[in-house]
Amino acid sequence: MILQEKINLDDLIICNKCNTLHKKVKLPKGGVARCSECGNIMYRNISEAFAKGVAFSITALILYIVASIFPIIEVSIGGVKNSLTIPQMIYTLFNEGYFVVGAIITTVLVITPLSVILSYLLLAILVKFKIFKSLSRHIISFLIISRDWEMIDIFAISILVALVKLFGYAEVSFGVSFVALILFVIVDIFFLKNIRPIEIWSYFNREYNR
Amino acid sequence: MKREDFIRCPYCESVNLNSDGDIYCRVCKNKIGDEPNRSLSTAWALLITAMIFYIIANTYPILEITKFGHTSGNTIIGGVIALWEEGSYPIAIIIFLASVFVPLLKFILIIYILINSKKRVKGSKKVDQAKLYHITEIIGPWSMVDIFVVAILASVVHMGSVKITAGVGATAFVLMVFFTMLSAMAIDERLIKEDKK
Repeated sequence: MILQEKINLDDLIICNKCNTLHKKVKLPKGGVARCSECGNIMYRNISEAFAKGVAFSITALILYIVASIFPIIEVSIGGVKNSLTIPQMIYTLFNEGYFVVGAIITTVLVITPLSVILSYLLLAILVKFKIFKSLSRHIISFLIISRDWEMIDIFAISILVALVKLFGYAEVSFGVSFVALILFVIVDIFFLKNIRPIEIWSYFNREYNR
Repeated sequence: MKREDFIRCPYCESVNLNSDGDIYCRVCKNKIGDEPNRSLSTAWALLITAMIFYIIANTYPILEITKFGHTSGNTIIGGVIALWEEGSYPIAIIIFLASVFVPLLKFILIIYILINSKKRVKGSKKVDQAKLYHITEIIGPWSMVDIFVVAILASVVHMGSVKITAGVGATAFVLMVFFTMLSAMAIDERLIKEDKK
């Protein structure tokens, strides 16, 4: 505690993968800081990282809506056709009395992806007009927790596994939404989940103190 | 100042000064962690709950197939064996890894970290443990693959003669995944002990 004046805590960073303590260094434009112990990317100097996040969250929202309205796959067994959509899948679970499974699937496939997207958009508006500073703080924390519980990527892999199980018994064709879902996963992994919490917070602090 | 004097906020990644009690982050004002003993008991309680659900999930059928009025249940292991016998080796391996191996691995990793936080296991380093913890966070959600597959099949396979529904095991399984994730979240940095030289 005595040394607090000498060391500025903002100059330090702890690797999120191996917990090694580092001193922050100034990065050139487009530079990446990797942990010397484990090689994990700790922070980057990407111009407008957050603005890109907002732009891609609009893309993600459109893709998500398309992916939930139209059928992802269409299965026909013995002449009976059924199509798979996320809302209909959840409805089936609730209808058959599997409330716990239904509730958790709703959380990880509907609530969290939408919260991530809407948090980004709402945050962009609040920060732009520099209003409701404490609300924005809560939104960022909420956004970071929601990202950990969002499982659309795992769902996409599960569709492929389910297709192999159906193979031989049923005729399967891909619906419009399958492409939208895959694109959503790409946007999600490379842009929405890839923005480090520290990058969001530094943007937040910079904009509100401007 | 030593390494132990600092702690990382899981929400905003800023570095804070460590203390034994509850810590609130200086940047985002979130609670970084409970008092270590309390978070240790929380993590154990959630983990044991998850392990009980794991046993139930493996005993009861996760999937029920009704063919011409005759219902047969499929447990996780039963499903894996059936896939293997059909010759779908890659899918059998994926399901086995995601539903049987990953949860077990996660239990073992969390137990190791929790035991280590009280009494050090010989030869373990903090860096290794932090990496193990990071692995548990990454592999955790992948256990959901089997549940999604069951939900997809239950949704598309229903007609007059053949119908697939979820089983009791499915409920136990999602609860298992849920509680294991909560247990891993209850572990904070202070429980991952440094090697005392």
